[in-house]
Amino acid sequence: MAKDPTDVLIGGYLSSKAAHEDYEAVLNCGADVMGAVVVSKDLEGNLSVEQTDHMVKEGAEGLAAVGFAVGLFAPPLLAATAIGAVVGAGAGKVLHKKSGSKIEEQAGETIPLGGAGLIVAYKHANADTIEPSVTRAIKKVVGEAEGRHVEALKGALADAQRKMTEEGA
Amino acid sequence: MSEPDRSSLPIRREPFAGVANKTLDGSTPDWNLIGHPTPPDGAPNVLLVLIDDAGFGNPSTFGGPIQTPNYTRIAAEGLRYNRFHVTALCSPTRAALLTGRNNHAVGFGSVGEFAGGFPGYSASLPRDCAPLPRILRDNGYSTSAFGKWHLTPDGQQGPAGPFDRWPNGWGFDYFYGFLAGDSGQWDPCLIENQKVIGTPEGFYDEEDPYYFPDAMADRAIEWLHGVRAQDADKPFFLYFSTGCSHAPHHVAQAWADRYRGAFDQGWDRLREETFARQKELGVVPAEAELTPRDDAFPAWEDVPEQLKAFYARQMEVYAGFSENADHNVGRVLDAIDELGELDDTVVIWIWGDNGASMEGTVTGSFNEMTMQNGIPLTDEMQLQLAERFGGMDKWGAQIMDPHYGAAWAWAGNTPFKWGKQVGSHLGGTRNPMVVRWPERITDAGALRSQFGHVIDVAPTILELAGIPQPETVDGIEQEPMHGTSFAATLAAADAPEFRTQQYFETIGNRGMYKDGWWLAMKTERIPWVVTPDALKPYAPGVWDPDAGPAELYYLPDDFTQAHDLAAEHPDKVQELKDLFWTEAERYKVLPLLATLSTFFGILPPIDRQTTFEFRGDVQNVLSGMIPRIYNHSYAISADLVVPEGGAEGVIVAESDHLGGFTLYVKDGKLTHTYSMMGVFVFKQVAEEDLPTGEITVRMEFAADEAKPATGGEVTLFIDDRPVGKGRMDHTVPIRFSAYAGMDIGRDNGGVVDLAYEDRKPFAFTGTVKKVVFDIKPHLSDQDELDIHAEAHRGHAAHALSG
Repeated sequence: MAKDPTDVLIGGYLSSKAAHEDYEAVLNCGADVMGAVVVSKDLEGNLSVEQTDHMVKEGAEGLAAVGFAVGLFAPPLLAATAIGAVVGAGAGKVLHKKSGSKIEEQAGETIPLGGAGLIVAYKHANADTIEPSVTRAIKKVVGEAEGRHVEALKGALADAQRKMTEEGA
Repeated sequence: MSEPDRSSLPIRREPFAGVANKTLDGSTPDWNLIGHPTPPDGAPNVLLVLIDDAGFGNPSTFGGPIQTPNYTRIAAEGLRYNRFHVTALCSPTRAALLTGRNNHAVGFGSVGEFAGGFPGYSASLPRDCAPLPRILRDNGYSTSAFGKWHLTPDGQQGPAGPFDRWPNGWGFDYFYGFLAGDSGQWDPCLIENQKVIGTPEGFYDEEDPYYFPDAMADRAIEWLHGVRAQDADKPFFLYFSTGCSHAPHHVAQAWADRYRGAFDQGWDRLREETFARQKELGVVPAEAELTPRDDAFPAWEDVPEQLKAFYARQMEVYAGFSENADHNVGRVLDAIDELGELDDTVVIWIWGDNGASMEGTVTGSFNEMTMQNGIPLTDEMQLQLAERFGGMDKWGAQIMDPHYGAAWAWAGNTPFKWGKQVGSHLGGTRNPMVVRWPERITDAGALRSQFGHVIDVAPTILELAGIPQPETVDGIEQEPMHGTSFAATLAAADAPEFRTQQYFETIGNRGMYKDGWWLAMKTERIPWVVTPDALKPYAPGVWDPDAGPAELYYLPDDFTQAHDLAAEHPDKVQELKDLFWTEAERYKVLPLLATLSTFFGILPPIDRQTTFEFRGDVQNVLSGMIPRIYNHSYAISADLVVPEGGAEGVIVAESDHLGGFTLYVKDGKLTHTYSMMGVFVFKQVAEEDLPTGEITVRMEFAADEAKPATGGEVTLFIDDRPVGKGRMDHTVPIRFSAYAGMDIGRDNGGVVDLAYEDRKPFAFTGTVKKVVFDIKPHLSDQDELDIHAEAHRGHAAHALSG
């Protein structure tokens, strides 16, 4: 059992600019980041993906079965209307070295036009530094899991997705 | 010719005074037959200017931060009035201004969009209340109106009229502007006289784009030149009613940039600065006190640092927009001056019709319609949505329909409390007025402080023109104007008070003024909140208007309503409450809250028409006139002729990317795009190419449930064959746009799908034979009734921002 749990933060945005600002803030916050990826979709449906080298590296080393999901805050419409969050596809997709197309494929289904998402993976010990650097997310959740490397990452991501779904509902 | 009888309009033609024999032999003509009525000798021209959604503390002429050199020029050559009052809402002030009667009494207890079933709220001018332009026109004036109208019921703004409710029907010879409560300044859906002319051609000119405020002045000057080219003497009445400073706050970046950094100190400090200048100018008495901030507005120091620039830019754009309005009024003034007629022209310029508007909610909005559609967004969300459309430097561009945050409006109403919609307090009811006419004014640059009201303007103009109020018009006995002329104040600073009593009522917020005392009875609802919880205390059988808060002020000693004297003068409170009810009954104010009646189950009959057919090339269907597809399942089908080689372009489109839908063909694919106020955008694309020949295409929306903003499934069909599908999680519950129209065969103005923005209006290259909307009723009558109720509640909410 790993002593330091793994955290996965998911942030949802209404603009690509905001997501990229948080992405840069995470990378420059001074703490070690296992990986980070920001995905945005413009109003015409064109996707852009930016990710850290080590995210790719982790994937290359066998970081299999890391799901990709982006929860995007959906504002409640009128007081009488409850609308659930727009949440991402289920976990279980593979992110690996050639994962750009995978991300695009999944993000194409999960990110609304004009929206963006950020995923950051890090050791829980760095949470106090990394989490506060994500300031612009409309919706932000953090999942946590213990275990071996890949197992922990998968668990944390699943936990984050669950929270995003539940809190957005 | 003898002086005609002006008490009955139209003025009767004098009997034939010549001789008409069997032949010309011995016959003598009477050339007066081909003449026309002329005003009394010396009747001046009149330029009446009304700025929209602005406050007492906005223009520099009254100490505000917005540079208004032309307003100041007219004030320096004329008079400032610092106790002039309006009605706290758009249409009501306009109705009162143009009729000289209290707004409820002429059917405008609310705005033009909300034509209710009570006499004071019908939005339909009674025929026994002939308006000022009609009176002036029939007495020989040339009359024209430019800009915002907002006095035509929502469902009567198409080619079927009725046109007695359009500007020409009110007596204006010429009209150029828009009928709605607001308009985009870059992409208006224009009206010229009795025709919807739609998007101006200049909208498509990227080098020199059309801008409505400029065009208003251009058209006004052109009209003046035309009148003078024909008749050197005929006086004119020109009503110049700007769309500024109502949202959307559209202005070129250069105008906004004049104020870059000017509001970084925030709204609290801005109020203090404005108040100090107001005292220096003397427009606020030296002993006046600045009223405190209500908790509904956040303190500037509590705004997160990273969002202060976002808020500051909102006000920079508003300020630039407003200064541009001053500039364009100045152009009209210059044109009159060039004609050598400025001194022969009575200029009455009112800066604001209801105080500044707080309808942007606390956050401000990239899209004014988010509030009206009940979409609560945080300031961070608003900022991100602004970024989506180009960032804060584009806040005033056509890509957004912005409205600033409520606290800026409150600051614009310095030194008073509240603002638009709040008829109980001076923030919504006291606006600057400037009058220039050297013929009567001998102490140019002076101040007038008599208590006046917008109903007093028309009687004043008539007195200055020497024209009596008519007793009958078209054979109908007329209700005398309720206003009183303030003409005497032009010549004499110490002229007696001409108005000693006046009621105010806007959406339940009431004021009763008498002999210096003002009773303020504000509902506790925050003006921009229309949620069920906020409205619950005002339900029939629940609300007792007399049991609510009542504040008492003595304005001669308390210019700003800073000291509530209600506890010290309970008898005066009761006296004014009683007087309010008397006035309310007399002027058709009752029932209170008729504007909100739909929220309490009082609904108009359900419209049973569910099929709407548009043949040929119908364009510019105004936004309140489109088939009401909201909250329903519906289908849009189109019969097309697609030539060999294919076709592309828009089949039907409503509004633009900030809320609307489009069904179009691009790259051979039938596509449906739906913008939920620019917050969410949904798109479905057919999986096969559009065939050639005579075909029918269709999109169907199957709503999940009978609820506002319902999600649902979209299916695209070609000749009844499903070719594409997708889901829309949220739909627009109330209204796509305040001003943008629907078009068949093209997408005029701002486009719905930015994918074809570079090809706008992206006209269909085949033939659209017809487009049919089929709005499917919900399964149960109760569902249909519920949705009907929701729709009209939303309609009322939209109306509140008029």
